Amino acid sequence: MSSQTAHTAPSAAAGHDEGHAHTHHTSTGLDNRKIAIWAFIGSECMLFASLIATYMIYKGRSLVGPFPHTEYVNEAGKVFKPILDIPVTSASTFVLLMSSLFMVLALQAVQLKGTMIPAGAGTWTRLQRSSQLWLGMTALFGAIFLGFQAYEFTSFVHEGLTIKTNLFGSSFFTLTGFHGAHVTVGVLWLMSLLWVDRTRGLGPQDELLVDIAALYWHFVDVVWIVIFTLVYLIQ
Amino acid sequence: MSMLRLRQAAPALLIAAALLTLSACGMTEYPNSTFNPNSDFNTAIDNLFDRLLFWGTIVFVVVEAALIFTIFRFRKRPGGAAPKQIHGNVALEISWTVIPAVILVLIAIPTVKTIFETQAPAPAGALTVEVTGHQWWWEFHYPEFGFSTANEVYIPLGRTTNFVLKTKDVLHSFWIPQMGGKRDLITNKTNYMWFTPNADLGSSAWNGFCTEYCGSSHANMKFRLFTVEPAEFESWARHQATVAVPHRTPATGAPGTPGTTTLVTVASNPSVTVTDSVPAAEPEIGYFFPAADLPDHVIPKTPIPADLPFDDGLLAGGDATRGQQSFILGGCIGCHAINGNPMAMSPIGPNLTHLATRHTIGGGLFTNDAPTLARWIKNAKKMKPGALMNTIGIGEYEPLLKGPVTAGLTDAQIADVVAYLRSLK
Amino acid sequence: MASIAAPTTASHASTEPENTGIWSWITTVDHKRIGTLYLWTALFFFIVGGFEATLIRTQLMRPNMGFVSAETYNQLFTMHGTTMVFLAVMPLSAAFFNFLIPLQIGARDVAFPRLNAFSYWVYLLGGIFITLPILFQVAPDAGWFGYAPLTTTRFSSGPNIDFWVLGLQILGISSLAAAFNFITTIINLRAPGMTLMRMPMFTWMSFVVQFLVILAFPPITIALFFLLMDRFFGTTFYAIAAGADPLLWQHLFWVFGHPEVYILILPAFGLVSEVLPTFSRKPLFGYNVMVYSGIMIGFLGFGVWAHHMFAVGMGAVADSIFSLMTMLIAIPTGVKIFNWIATMWSGEIRFTVSMKFAIALIAMFTIGGISGVMHSSPPADLQQTDTYFVVAHFHYVLFGGSIMGIFAGIYFYYPKMTGRHLNETQGNWHFWLNLIGMNLTFFPMHFSGLLGMSRRIYTYDAGQGFDMFNLLATYGTYLLVVATAVFVWNFIRSHTRGEIAGNDPWGAPTLEWSIPSPPPEYNFAKLPSVTSRYPLWDLNNPEMTSEIAHSAADAKVITDSHAVPMHIETETHTAKELGIPMPFPTAKPFVVAFSMVVMFCGLLFLRNDMFALSMTVTISGALVMVAGLYSWLTSPLE
Repeated sequence: MSSQTAHTAPSAAAGHDEGHAHTHHTSTGLDNRKIAIWAFIGSECMLFASLIATYMIYKGRSLVGPFPHTEYVNEAGKVFKPILDIPVTSASTFVLLMSSLFMVLALQAVQLKGTMIPAGAGTWTRLQRSSQLWLGMTALFGAIFLGFQAYEFTSFVHEGLTIKTNLFGSSFFTLTGFHGAHVTVGVLWLMSLLWVDRTRGLGPQDELLVDIAALYWHFVDVVWIVIFTLVYLIQ
Repeated sequence: MSMLRLRQAAPALLIAAALLTLSACGMTEYPNSTFNPNSDFNTAIDNLFDRLLFWGTIVFVVVEAALIFTIFRFRKRPGGAAPKQIHGNVALEISWTVIPAVILVLIAIPTVKTIFETQAPAPAGALTVEVTGHQWWWEFHYPEFGFSTANEVYIPLGRTTNFVLKTKDVLHSFWIPQMGGKRDLITNKTNYMWFTPNADLGSSAWNGFCTEYCGSSHANMKFRLFTVEPAEFESWARHQATVAVPHRTPATGAPGTPGTTTLVTVASNPSVTVTDSVPAAEPEIGYFFPAADLPDHVIPKTPIPADLPFDDGLLAGGDATRGQQSFILGGCIGCHAINGNPMAMSPIGPNLTHLATRHTIGGGLFTNDAPTLARWIKNAKKMKPGALMNTIGIGEYEPLLKGPVTAGLTDAQIADVVAYLRSLK
Repeated sequence: MASIAAPTTASHASTEPENTGIWSWITTVDHKRIGTLYLWTALFFFIVGGFEATLIRTQLMRPNMGFVSAETYNQLFTMHGTTMVFLAVMPLSAAFFNFLIPLQIGARDVAFPRLNAFSYWVYLLGGIFITLPILFQVAPDAGWFGYAPLTTTRFSSGPNIDFWVLGLQILGISSLAAAFNFITTIINLRAPGMTLMRMPMFTWMSFVVQFLVILAFPPITIALFFLLMDRFFGTTFYAIAAGADPLLWQHLFWVFGHPEVYILILPAFGLVSEVLPTFSRKPLFGYNVMVYSGIMIGFLGFGVWAHHMFAVGMGAVADSIFSLMTMLIAIPTGVKIFNWIATMWSGEIRFTVSMKFAIALIAMFTIGGISGVMHSSPPADLQQTDTYFVVAHFHYVLFGGSIMGIFAGIYFYYPKMTGRHLNETQGNWHFWLNLIGMNLTFFPMHFSGLLGMSRRIYTYDAGQGFDMFNLLATYGTYLLVVATAVFVWNFIRSHTRGEIAGNDPWGAPTLEWSIPSPPPEYNFAKLPSVTSRYPLWDLNNPEMTSEIAHSAADAKVITDSHAVPMHIETETHTAKELGIPMPFPTAKPFVVAFSMVVMFCGLLFLRNDMFALSMTVTISGALVMVAGLYSWLTSPLE
């Protein structure tokens, strides 16, 4: 039966939807940007999968060194020790993981902003609401990670591994370089959020903006964990 | 409307029918047909293709008939009843999912079987031919006999040949349509393909093509396959393994007594000497496919560029000994090897050792005759787009120099080189 | 966020429906206008690609023809493929995504209107970027698939491949941005009552396509990035001397390339699924199965890529797996063919031009599908691959499939887009010339292929058995030229001379036909709610949908979204009159697109030792782009 359900009649020709601030109706109840960021992350998964697959395909196939985990002696007799420094990179990985923790705290801070602080609450409760602190810490630790990457890249170049040296160099620097570029974009994003927080302030109404940034940040972190495992840990 | 549709569908149908019948025609019209079971490989492929064609035709007829029937039977007629609103039918959906699946299984099983059969390691006792692709010519090396040749490959009938496929530059693909499928030549990888030409074919000549786009003259990268009787093959291979024996009269008129060797100074470049050997007796040239027996389809008809002049009259006076010297002067030794000529050992370009036993030049592109060869030497790039061979003719334009060649060979010198090369039997 | 403006103060809103100046087109964020831009641009590039094909076929008309040089030919066949895939067929589909999806799902626009405009401008500029070089004879010339190592600087030292790599990266950005947009739109902006399983088939197929885009484009982005790095910065991804594996390029390319062909065909399938039920006066047979088979095709499409590589020597096991997967994907594809025929069965078929094209798709795609199954058997494929047999196969599915389906859609939706009909007589000429021309061109290629003719050859020798097939194919091409000319004439002329069309000239079932033709800027005066898959048939022909389940739409949802039961709207107002806030027209998407392409142009100079110039151009572009982006992200949509 074609339905002619009774409905609350709209106001006349002016059919004006707005009488209050409202979000546009959505089929899922989620903001459009939330859905878009997930689609974006899905796409980025394939991007990094392609880069990682390339690294794995070329693993062990470089004709000349330096090599990641084994020693290389070139024709002139020069010895190159295994170039990856796992202890140092473990430290930078830890830094990046911590930054994800700070991101969680930043999101929580934004959600709690403006809520009542219970009587007798301690410093931590106050700190929990300091979105500037946590956004700043996330960005800072992201920057520290980038610092580690910069150090690693320059020391590799000094030790004789450039992006042109061999298949390992090309695939390694491109993969980690892409990741580093993503971290950089994330740091800049966080710093702009921090700027907004310092100027007009971020509150629960901005949760979506911080949530999206958090999703991106956590994704970049997870990618690093995969890279760290496949490139550094597994020989 | 309905009759109109049928009338207008008719041309397409007629063309299809005509073409189908034409495909039944034979060697002379379709000399590169893939449908002939000339080898074990092609027989296996043919059997598979027959099944594919069989099921494909059935599906085609059933689907198109259902479609044509439907559009005729259910066209809107004035006064027709409103159609019944059917949304689906589970039984139908299942049927037309399962039936195609069954047909595909019937294709899949012989497919997988044939894959494993044709990609098994080559049978023991197979002849090995190493194929190396270059832009835009084919190198063939026979490790068991120890020689290399170019653009013509001989294999024995009734015996398996295992082709070992490599490339020195970009990707190519090795294909002899009448013998079987193709296999790509991949940089930094070795591929293998083997087949056994049927013993009852009789000595035959076949066309081979490069079938992976490889740059400017991809279309011109051809080769010839000669499947010959085992005895003929042995004769050919043994001879190709020998050094080139120039057949010509000695240049200086000095003792050309058979059996002697003299050192001859190259007049124009005194620091160079060549060994001038006269063979003890006219040596036997091994078998090579008689020119008279060449079927039309292996004879190239590529037109010679009209703007590449050469005084053909000079060819008669070409002198092979002078030619051997000019072969050095013209820089040919930079790329071409000729066994028996210690100056010519470069592996970069086609090996020319027994060039006079070959029917084509330029990557299977032109007939191997004196006027063509002369022009090829003079300006290969003009004959074959993008050819990597330097322009030799003085005054001809060389793109790499962005100007005319000054250090090269005159037409007369080229005529000598032609004489030298045509003496390399 | 919506502004809380009373109607009289909505001074920024676009309230001039007749605004037709060029500036209005540059600043538009209206999905309908953007769809129109895509359509015109794509048809232009279709003609460019067709012209390239005509030159190709003229060169191949006779053995040793000598009409064009080898180098020119190699540029022509490369650009023909690149143009048709990236600049013609994909954008033609995009024209429909843009115009149709919001209308079909009952939305006012897409989720991100400015991003939508950005996608179009990037496409236009990318198309110009990659096409302009042919005028200077430096067009890309390594095939549309650009296999390494031929594309490395060692073998392609000119700028040709630089244009190709950078151009494709630009075009990839356009497609990706659009895909994020449509995924969000379809998931989030459906009218109340429109569950996923009530969406029109075109929207469904487009939905699957967008997922294919976001997952398939990254691999080719990376493959191209590697090539770019090799060419510009000397890395070793495809470098022979470093031991690189050319199959890396092939795998990455075909992991993109195979889903790409489903990206090319599924929208056409969707259009045909709209046209057939309308002109059969029956609903689509097996809607659920059609949805699931579309999803299966999308999913399985990621598992078959190496069937393009059966000749490279992957080994018997890999060959077998990909062979079986390829055969598997034939099943959901075949199921669609049967469901379409069943749709027409016992229907009441009206043979409009649109319907003829839709029927032709079924007939032609079947042929292409059968030759596709023949390719799925590796040993047989070793004879077929890289020959004209493949050329026949993919032209049957792309021309006989995608293009025919798109024409079905054009004839069907032209009235909705312009308010006028295309001329049926000219349409019929177009159809028959197309059908005959297409078959005459491509059917002989099945034969020339299996009779020994390789692909991508600029000429062939006499006496090889190829002559007659090539001659016929060239004649067919000339017929197609005439067909296209008739169509272009019709398309342009009918804008002003076509018969006026109302809301629903065809008696179709879906929401887009409930509003005027062309639709007002706001699409729907009141957002509609629906209770079934065929809202318009519910209204106009209730006897057609009486037997399917209808829901009572969720009352709360309707109230929240201020939707009303779906109804026919015949009056056209301005958004201002109705108090509907519209997105502001803005040039920011154009500015960001333009500056981004300028950045890519800057990169072109890197290989020519013009580092300073390159950096100047690239950095200038980057600065403008960042400024533009900042402005865009911080200004309100409406």
